[in-house]
Amino acid sequence: MLRYIAKRLLILIPMLLAVSVVVFLILRLGQNDPAMSYLRLSNIPPTDEALAVARQDLGLDLPLPAQYAQWLGKALVLDFGRSYVTGLPVLSEILFYLPNTLKLAGFSLLLTLIISLPLGIWSALEKDRLPDHATRAFAFAGVSMPGFWLAFILVWLFSIQLGWLPPLGMGGLDHMIMPALSMSLMSMAINTRLIRGNMLDNMHTRYVLYARARGLPERVVVGRHVLTNSLIPVVTAIGMHVGELFGGAVIAESIFSWPGVGRFAVSAIYNRDYPVMQCFILIMTAIFVLMNLCVDILYAWLDPRIRLQGGGNR
Amino acid sequence: MKRAVFYLLSAAVLVASAMLGPVRADLGDTLNYSWAANVGPLNPHAYSPSQMFAQAMVYEPLVRYGEGGGLEPWLAESWDISADGRTYTFHLRKGVTFSDGTPFDAAAAKKNFDAVLLNSQRHNWLEFINQIADTVAVDEHTFQLVLKNAYYPTLQELCLIRPMRFLSPSGFPEDGNTGKGIKAPIGTGPWVLAETRKGEHDLFVANERYWGNKPKFKRLLVKVIPDSDGRAVAFQTGQIDLIFGSGGHGSGQIGIDTFNRFASMPGIETAISAPQATRVLAINSNLFPTSDLAVRQAILYGVNKAAMVKHIFLGVEPMADTLFSPDMPYCDLGLAPFAHDQQKAAALLDEAGWKQEKEAGYRTRDGRELAFDVCFVGNDSLQKSVAEVIQGDLKRLGIRVRLVGEEMDSFLTRQKSGEFGMIFGDTWGAPYDPHSFCSSMRKPAHADYQAQIGLPMKEEIDRKISEVLVSVDEEKRQELYRDILTTLHEQAVYLPLSYMTNITVHRPELKGVTFGPTKYEFPFELMSRER
Repeated sequence: MLRYIAKRLLILIPMLLAVSVVVFLILRLGQNDPAMSYLRLSNIPPTDEALAVARQDLGLDLPLPAQYAQWLGKALVLDFGRSYVTGLPVLSEILFYLPNTLKLAGFSLLLTLIISLPLGIWSALEKDRLPDHATRAFAFAGVSMPGFWLAFILVWLFSIQLGWLPPLGMGGLDHMIMPALSMSLMSMAINTRLIRGNMLDNMHTRYVLYARARGLPERVVVGRHVLTNSLIPVVTAIGMHVGELFGGAVIAESIFSWPGVGRFAVSAIYNRDYPVMQCFILIMTAIFVLMNLCVDILYAWLDPRIRLQGGGNR
Repeated sequence: MKRAVFYLLSAAVLVASAMLGPVRADLGDTLNYSWAANVGPLNPHAYSPSQMFAQAMVYEPLVRYGEGGGLEPWLAESWDISADGRTYTFHLRKGVTFSDGTPFDAAAAKKNFDAVLLNSQRHNWLEFINQIADTVAVDEHTFQLVLKNAYYPTLQELCLIRPMRFLSPSGFPEDGNTGKGIKAPIGTGPWVLAETRKGEHDLFVANERYWGNKPKFKRLLVKVIPDSDGRAVAFQTGQIDLIFGSGGHGSGQIGIDTFNRFASMPGIETAISAPQATRVLAINSNLFPTSDLAVRQAILYGVNKAAMVKHIFLGVEPMADTLFSPDMPYCDLGLAPFAHDQQKAAALLDEAGWKQEKEAGYRTRDGRELAFDVCFVGNDSLQKSVAEVIQGDLKRLGIRVRLVGEEMDSFLTRQKSGEFGMIFGDTWGAPYDPHSFCSSMRKPAHADYQAQIGLPMKEEIDRKISEVLVSVDEEKRQELYRDILTTLHEQAVYLPLSYMTNITVHRPELKGVTFGPTKYEFPFELMSRER
């Protein structure tokens, strides 16, 4: 198991390197000139002289390979350069905003679980009855509604019409409800249906029949046998949801003025702030890969029938 | 099991309702405002990421831009200009201190000018900086600027928000080079930056030592709201008290349609400022087919600006007939507007040999179609709408307009390289208009240079611009501006659309909301809340 984890972590290095090359090339081979963006943000006319000074200040006067080599050399010691816009070290900027995003994403995940688990179970237990139809309608609406659209509806209803929730900014838990809901509704809908489907499948398996034959109470049969086995595929889904949550955060944070890394990345994209974009993509790649790794490990731990490659002698 | 599910759901609902609470706005001594980003380090001698409106709150100029382009004494109570126009002697206001208590005197003024000159390369877009030969602290309250040439817009450019305002000597770094950063943003202005929370807000407090009218609010909280719709919601839900700044898309505070929605709501006060700058399209005189004067004039006659102002700018921006608003200094010239006249436009094209064979087709001459690109910023909905109206209006004249919507940097590159038939290129507004904007027409960094380079009299225009900037005779200066602006008007290298304005939205309890003299000067210190 440890060997497997070590191997997966080692693969992360070439992967991040490849991502960095691709990102660097994609960003730099466009026709955009970040020096031009810098001057625009500063209200300075883009004369040739001003452009030359800006390029020199931003380190854009070197040839591309030299720029990459310089960037890589520094990145290896976790120096990702300075933001073109704020002039501050990129890593410290991202690490400043990342906890806010993690807070929001964590709350969204919690909300997903708190709502989808009971709904999925309820729906399975009440198959083809009213609760099942209602959760089906909920799931249908949830997967069909784009997050940003839901965000606007929530703001209209809970902030403008009812005045219950603050429409933007960071503060108490009440500030998190609407952004978290808009980020997690789709995951909730998917999870609800997934849990329902798994529960129904498992209810007709032979081990459940055997458990019932042993005279175990229905509560134990469903709670211990059916539910435990139904949740294993949900673990994989949750791994994917984490990725979706980070993607959703980019939109939700912008709409709700949540000072997270997603909103920071959006403004970096708008301002062509290359060092920030590069670092953001690398960190997101690392998070995705690490999340996948965690899911695989959790999977093996939950279901001993699953053996990880290279981890057979654990 | 069912019971467990019921308990779980109930618990979730309870947790959610426990987190609910009424949305409260900060009342009392705090004015809540919003801006798209944090105000930045507020280095008075630097640019991005410091926000201009906040620099103007903390730092003050020697001379201030006033109504109709007049110049008002500010940190300099008066000034003398030598007969040769090269020496400016400023008599500084007595009793002014920086917010940390350090006196503002000639030595402090000189220290600031010298710091700016230390990084003159960074500021050389501003001709005034290039013209400074020497700075002298004559005595405690007398500061002298010696120029290389008589540069008449010196006082106008001293009004700018940056780079020539004053930082307390205690805010300077050890080596005196503010180009690398400052210790603390300490100015003489009515506000002091008290706290910055990245991504959340900036808090300003009233400067207790301020020499002028002290702010009526004790605090000004600037919340970071990047999105204009978010800002509108924040106002509607009482999170902010005031929306102030330019309207429209992009860097606008709120969209024009949102502004009009607020204007029609009872219990909300809205206002529109006098023209601040001109929304204009430059027409390329150096590229086929707009190199033909008749085509350019036909465009000016052919576009229905009145309809555009009514339906796109929704009356928030008045129609513009000339490159600069007549309110700008030297610009009230009584130039005859190109009023919308399709017949006249068609006659001009017919006369110039542009024939339309089929009614539905486009005009041609010598086998070449009358077609060109109109370039705009792709995600700027206002520009896109204008471009589409132009396309429709000119199609009726038999002119094919290709719409080229690109992202901002590509768009700016086009402005610089001249790859456009028509391109958006707004003027810079007060206090840059007309002198700085005209000055920039001589440099190949702008759409203006590219638009004008095909004119047979381009050299003469540039010569006159160079002449007007160093002229010491007021009458001669007016005459030169008349020549330059009349030529540009007659040569039809600009399609002025509307005069850009600032807007305000607030509730009636907020009093004293007035517009500042320039686009980024917001007089928060005059505002108060009626209880």
